[in-house]
Amino acid sequence: MIGKEKLVKIVGAGNVSYEQKTLDEYSKDISFVNAVRPVCVVKPKNASDVRKIVNLANKTQTPLVPVSSGPPHFRGDTVPGIGGAVIVDLSKMKKIINVDRARRVAMVEPGVTFGELIPAAEKEGIRLNMPLLPRKSKTVIGSILEREPVIMPKYQWDISDPLSCVEVIFGSGDEFRTGQAAGPGTVKEQWAVGGVQKAPYGPGVASWHRLIQGAQGTMGIVTWASMRCEILPSLEEPFVVGSSNLDTLLEMISWLIRLRMVNECFILNNTNLAAIFTKKWPRGYQNLKDSLPAWTLFYTVAGYEYLPEERISSHIKGITEITQRLGVEAVKAAGGVSANEILKAVQQPSGEPYWKLRYKGACEDIFFLTINDKLEGQIGVMNELAEKADYSASEMGVYIQPIVQGTGCHCEFNLFYDPGNPSELNRVRGLSNSAVKSLMAKDAFFSRPYGENANMILNRDAATVAVLDKLKKMFDPNSIMNPGKVCF
Amino acid sequence: MALNKEVYKEFEDVVGEENICNDPAIMPAYFSTEFAAVILPGNTAEVQAIVKLCNKHKMQFRPICTGWTGMFPPGIILLDLRRMNRIIEINEKNMYAVVEPYVISSQLQAELMKRGLNFCIKGAGTNCTAMLRGHGHMDQTTSGDDRNHLAIEWITPEGDIVRSGSLGSSDEWFCGDGPGPSLRSILTSAVPPGVTPGVFTKAAVKLYHWSGPSAYPVEGISPHYSLSEIPPNMMARYFSFPSVEKMWQAELKIGESEICFELMGFNISMVAANITTSNEEEEETFNRLNKEVQGPGFFVIVVGDTPADFEYKQRVLEKIVSENDGKSLKAVEDPRIEGILMCQCTRISASIRETFRNGGAFNSIPIMGQRDLTIKWAIGAGKAKEPLIEKGYIVDDGGAFFGWGVEQGHLGKTEIFCKFDPGNPEAKAAVEGWQKEQNRRAFTERYFASTMGPQDEIGPALLNYHLWWQKITEALDPNGVSPSGGSLV
Repeated sequence: MIGKEKLVKIVGAGNVSYEQKTLDEYSKDISFVNAVRPVCVVKPKNASDVRKIVNLANKTQTPLVPVSSGPPHFRGDTVPGIGGAVIVDLSKMKKIINVDRARRVAMVEPGVTFGELIPAAEKEGIRLNMPLLPRKSKTVIGSILEREPVIMPKYQWDISDPLSCVEVIFGSGDEFRTGQAAGPGTVKEQWAVGGVQKAPYGPGVASWHRLIQGAQGTMGIVTWASMRCEILPSLEEPFVVGSSNLDTLLEMISWLIRLRMVNECFILNNTNLAAIFTKKWPRGYQNLKDSLPAWTLFYTVAGYEYLPEERISSHIKGITEITQRLGVEAVKAAGGVSANEILKAVQQPSGEPYWKLRYKGACEDIFFLTINDKLEGQIGVMNELAEKADYSASEMGVYIQPIVQGTGCHCEFNLFYDPGNPSELNRVRGLSNSAVKSLMAKDAFFSRPYGENANMILNRDAATVAVLDKLKKMFDPNSIMNPGKVCF
Repeated sequence: MALNKEVYKEFEDVVGEENICNDPAIMPAYFSTEFAAVILPGNTAEVQAIVKLCNKHKMQFRPICTGWTGMFPPGIILLDLRRMNRIIEINEKNMYAVVEPYVISSQLQAELMKRGLNFCIKGAGTNCTAMLRGHGHMDQTTSGDDRNHLAIEWITPEGDIVRSGSLGSSDEWFCGDGPGPSLRSILTSAVPPGVTPGVFTKAAVKLYHWSGPSAYPVEGISPHYSLSEIPPNMMARYFSFPSVEKMWQAELKIGESEICFELMGFNISMVAANITTSNEEEEETFNRLNKEVQGPGFFVIVVGDTPADFEYKQRVLEKIVSENDGKSLKAVEDPRIEGILMCQCTRISASIRETFRNGGAFNSIPIMGQRDLTIKWAIGAGKAKEPLIEKGYIVDDGGAFFGWGVEQGHLGKTEIFCKFDPGNPEAKAAVEGWQKEQNRRAFTERYFASTMGPQDEIGPALLNYHLWWQKITEALDPNGVSPSGGSLV
């Protein structure tokens, strides 16, 4: 156990908390993982503080749980997996270190939220490839390290995008910088010669950033990350296509991405679209939902510096050929929601309260990766399970996000529930467990295993786990980093 | 060095007598190394059995795909994967292909183009394996390095089968990452001095849309080929600029505008190499074109998905080139030359002409990453070639470097090489000296560190990555049967 005085010496008395109320806040989240109270919460101010904390933790065998985003948390990854843990809350590390228009890259500390980085990037003429409506307290680095899907799949060349480089303090206490940032020279020396921290691969043959992403803080603590950004369009035209036939929309979206004609693009069902855009709760929700098609495909066509109108016009012509072939129509509004309204919303974090909490106060997300061919079957299974669990399938939100330029898609079921209603809560909890099992049987790939179901997911791939175990022993030999998460 | 009869028989039992050889008269045909045996497995199960036997007998092995080059410690077993040459799947809807190690790039690309698809072909050439990572002419729209891999089937050095990403969990090839941290962090391939130990037996690679023809209308007799017509909605041009800065600005804007299928920063010497059929003709063409260009330049291929898209891209290209005082090279506007360049630079038969024909050998410094930064360094490296040119040690290419945009200019590759006569020891020494000095300059001036250099010097400057990698390989290969090193495209 790390002594209080040692933590105070590192970060100052005001940045260490043993208050029961504070500890309670970090001991649970909206997910169904068991509540475990940490011993204390420490808020480092910089990488040097982080390094000292990790070194102390190694000496005292103290578990560390890194947290960058603010509450509410949803996935159980920031709730201690075992007792005696120290929460390393990175929310005070809030510097936007660099935004570079010409190289299309930004660099931030872990406490920077989307709401903070978006205006700084826009000022320079660039923007982030965002996840769908992250909560206001969500940090950019938190989202990127979790490999959250992004809404412009055209610009996601690799699943690790938009991550470029990171600085990390491994569980071993060693400092490392990935990709181009590794060197030669310090980051400042690289800047001096005109270098930015953009290229993700290396140093050497490994792609070290891939080991840190998806690890839920089990390999080390990231103290800054750089990320690729995209040019801000000079002109944008958003559209929606509504249909009761998901297959048709999946066919359409795969061509839109294959031909690189659209920027933001995703599919939502009417429940989710209503959950996001209802203005007057609760009455307006059902009215809006009733006005919407079962499925809505949203996309944006954009023009840049040169001849933006011509670019948009040529893409619209190309898209029209697709819509005519498929017998659907691209329009400017679906029911009571306009395409412009959607575009404006998805380029920012969610308004308050967070959209997933508006309907019933809590939400359990079940998400996985899959391919288009299997999606309808998987949605069918989920609908059956929901009805069986006495959870109305029509109340379930569905979000479909093509990933990595069309090589797969993220499918997410959002189970809204009232956390104050124990029977509803238990129904959703049971449904979540049974759904993961049944969906895996239907080839759903749970690439980001969180919470109660992580073991069930990882047990299917013992060979991968065996290799991951070897890597974990190298980078975190004393197993101090977020023990009890992923397969560690 | 040779296997004893009992051990030989064990390996023979796996692959059959026709697929194993330890004949000292035949094995040197592969590489100038004394192998213990050459074994040709036909599938994953056979590879696994061989690797298990290697562990049992503590024998080292190294696999090769198409075998462009390689470094092999004497006495090891060579696994020649040429029998594993099947395209397992082309998934048009989900944009990936699954290949075995000996599927060559031209074979896969020919199948893809029939389906309106394409993929990243390494600059090493279209005759090299389609499976491994690398960079190539089409990186502007087909990405590069390790970013095109999806799921991989991997026999670990201990003989276990690991199927990364979605393959391990749901038997699908579309994703190589997860569950949890990604094994793609270590499932790399062909960049010296280290490669992932073990054997990749299958890999899924990303595919990209191709709006060009399903096959080029090639006519003529070797070596004088051309296209009977330029395919619709396609165009190739070479533009030169008054300065490197202007060229870079144009390259930047082209990337941001997403208008070029390919942006290859050929120097004019490489253009000459590509459009001629002999050394004499090449020299004469280089001298002629060198007078026509105003400075550094690049070659572009524009492909429109529709006539409207093509027209838009052409107009933007014109504007960007004009804003940066670019000038089109007349020779490339000739449809016979435009057509064959288009073909060579998408089917990737260009590399051999550019590198080997003139001089016979080359030493190169390739850098992947931030294009503007590496260009800055390459200007100095090019100037440093001039004394070697004056002394006649290397082929006169005007002291040029080359490179290309990757992912619409997000990343880039810059490379510079000296072509020389390998039979001339003075030339060889001068080129090696140039290479060493330019790598040193890149390192001390903080441009980049070539990880192909001495590890005990470079590793500490890059946070001891080499020690981490060594730890990884030792953990994966406790019996030391899969030695590090080698470039095996």
